[in-house]
Amino acid sequence: MEMSFSPQQLAFRDEVRAFLAQALTPRLRHGAALTSGVFAEPDIARAWQAILEAKGWLVYHWPETAGGPGWTPLQRWIFEKECAQAGAPVLPGMGLKLLGPVLYTFGSAAQKAFYLPRLRSAEHVWAQGFSEPGSGSDLASLRTRAERDGDHYIVNGHKIWTTQAQHANRLFALVRTDPAVKPQAGISFLMIDMALPGVTVRPILSASGDHELNEVFLDTVRVPVADRIGEEGQGWTIAKFLLENERGGTAFAPQLLADLVRLQGETGPLRGELAERALRLRLEAEALEITELRTLAEIEAGEAPGPRSVITKLIASEIRQGIEVLAVDAFGMAGLQWPEERPFYDAGVPAPFHSATAQVAAARYLNARAWSIFGGTSEIQLAIIARAALGL
Amino acid sequence: MRFAPNDDQAMVLDMVARFLAARTDPATMAAGPMPAQDWSALGELGLFGFLLPEAAGGMGGAPQDVMLVAEAFGRSLAITPLAEGVVICGHLLGAAASSSRGDQLLAGIAQGTLTLAFARGGMISDKGLTGHLGLVRDGMAAEAFLVAAEDGGVALLAADDPRLHRRPVRLVDGSLAADLRCDAAGAALLEVPEGQVAAALALGQLAIVAEMVGAMATLLDLTVDYVKQRRQFGQAIASFQVIQHRCARLYVMLEQARSMMLRAALAPEGERQASVAAARAYAGEAALRLAEEAVQFHGGMGVTDELAVGRGLRRVLLLSRLFGGPCAARAELAA
Ligand SMILES: Cc1cc2nc3c(=O)[nH]c(=O)nc-3n(C[C@H](O)[C@H](O)[C@H](O)COP(=O)(O)OP(=O)(O)OC[C@H]3O[C@@H](n4cnc5c(N)ncnc54)[C@H](O)[C@@H]3O)c2cc1C
Repeated sequence: MEMSFSPQQLAFRDEVRAFLAQALTPRLRHGAALTSGVFAEPDIARAWQAILEAKGWLVYHWPETAGGPGWTPLQRWIFEKECAQAGAPVLPGMGLKLLGPVLYTFGSAAQKAFYLPRLRSAEHVWAQGFSEPGSGSDLASLRTRAERDGDHYIVNGHKIWTTQAQHANRLFALVRTDPAVKPQAGISFLMIDMALPGVTVRPILSASGDHELNEVFLDTVRVPVADRIGEEGQGWTIAKFLLENERGGTAFAPQLLADLVRLQGETGPLRGELAERALRLRLEAEALEITELRTLAEIEAGEAPGPRSVITKLIASEIRQGIEVLAVDAFGMAGLQWPEERPFYDAGVPAPFHSATAQVAAARYLNARAWSIFGGTSEIQLAIIARAALGL
Repeated sequence: MRFAPNDDQAMVLDMVARFLAARTDPATMAAGPMPAQDWSALGELGLFGFLLPEAAGGMGGAPQDVMLVAEAFGRSLAITPLAEGVVICGHLLGAAASSSRGDQLLAGIAQGTLTLAFARGGMISDKGLTGHLGLVRDGMAAEAFLVAAEDGGVALLAADDPRLHRRPVRLVDGSLAADLRCDAAGAALLEVPEGQVAAALALGQLAIVAEMVGAMATLLDLTVDYVKQRRQFGQAIASFQVIQHRCARLYVMLEQARSMMLRAALAPEGERQASVAAARAYAGEAALRLAEEAVQFHGGMGVTDELAVGRGLRRVLLLSRLFGGPCAARAELAA
């Protein structure tokens, strides 16, 4: 047993740190710090994605065979930790974190050759079309129908909660190709060009005042069969693989710890109850950090991660929500301001009262409520833990 | 002992509830500040008189009256200047020695035709009031400000005084506050008897507690309806025991918060401030927790701007954090 980094790992950390110090422009840092939603806004994300791609570190979590830099799980973690501490923008994960691994794991050679480079160059910007109005927690009940017509599927359906679909030009979606079999077995995984006739995106405004969410209507959309990933009926297996990445693909603790430190830098020393709450959050996040490292060490040793890996998203949601309500409380009345204009770092936003971080606090609090809902609600996570870890 | 409203109170309550329900639904109410014409229509009904003491030209103004009316407002999720603009300002003016300007303002409050805002801070000198008073709720719409200054004095400021500077800052419930600065702004001093500022403040805070309790009741009702109707896995999500238990917990929190509110409203005068602080500490925490759970049980729908729950969370966040929120209230109790 040991819990330290090797000299090579420390040298790698210094290399990452030096790169970030130079690559993160004030604009990128500012944009990242004043992001109210889950992901960086498109202008910030695009710029940061291009910088990382030029450095060869954009798809740091992909294996070398898929074009990644060939890092070990712990190197990836070190990179994520440094990014969090440096205040780097959080790139939208739909393409890079969710679809990418699906493509290099389940995609055909032709699909990989066509889609992976375009994903990296951001020529393709992806949205995730899983949820439907009637199918959220019970995703397997989804009803979007894809009927075979020669070399095409005719797709009809209604997706909802599609994050950043307004900025996307591609949608990966779960569709029902066979209504006769048991629900999970009748699902397939399609990539849909959103420029195709019959695709309509309608915005959903969040209670935070941000526009992150959308509905996507699919009305007789002709999708080439060649854009199906995996076999017909394999969609559920692929979706489960993808959801594991969505819930645990990135370490959560480094970002949470960094945000907690940054917050206290903005508010000044907290006192009394607030100091106590900050400390509790820090301890929870420190425990999460080690829990995540335990899982990574198992993966690095070539072992299958134990059921404990499923607890990270649940805990991360709770800490995230705790941090954002702490921010509101720490800023007092200033934490209740809520300008209409977005994004917060835009010149059109009214001058903040107290500070720009205080100005974004309420919107961040409201958006943080979604952490216990997206990617599988906390209630569903607990049910999975009860089943997977305890056999209940 | 009797915690239920008497006949007169029940009549007023019924009037408020019917008026608010007839205007619109909670989701619309919580979307933004109540339109001025609705506010003055409430004034025409004589409602605000019920919140004001006789000394202020009203016909009520007892803590119970304030609580009942404010709870009804809370239930509707309406975004109004009730607590500060009517209760605090009205009671301060009522407590002050009568003056023609004061009477005029009180008449405007009672009719719902005049917006007053309440602020704290600044120093009064013979030149006027000076200081950065921070964010003042409804301070942009206000035609006058009542300021409890740091030195204990109460000043009345006209909003159009050139040495009073304000800039709009939108708050999380969609209402417009003013970032208020005064640079020797002309201040008419109100002679408010010892203790009356604190009493008016406690009454306004009681109104905020009651608004939270009302909002809790509505958010719980909406959530119970939703979980009965929303189906996943082939059944209503209300059939999952986890949801039942947690909704049951919300009901417990609501009833406990209501108890604290009632105690604060019925406490003898000497104990009122402490029991208002206790109610603020308790209800502030319970209301936010309940609103967050209401959002959670609505899943994705909960985080949208379309439903009353998402908007209600914004309103409850604001109400629960006013005057320093539960933290400040607990600190007050511990002191
Ligand atoms: C900000 C945000 C971004 C999102 N982005 C995307 C996206 O890009 N693409 C996409 O496809 N989807 C996305 N989603 C959708 C998300 O995956 C769903 O909202 C989530 O799975 C919950 O589904 P639902 O909203 O239908 O809630 P429901 O499933 O209706 O759940 C309502 C409530 O019931 C509870 N519940 C349900 N079943 C059970 C049970 N068996 N036991 C106990 N409690 C239960 C839930 O926990 C919840 O509290 C996003 C959601 C949000 C909020």
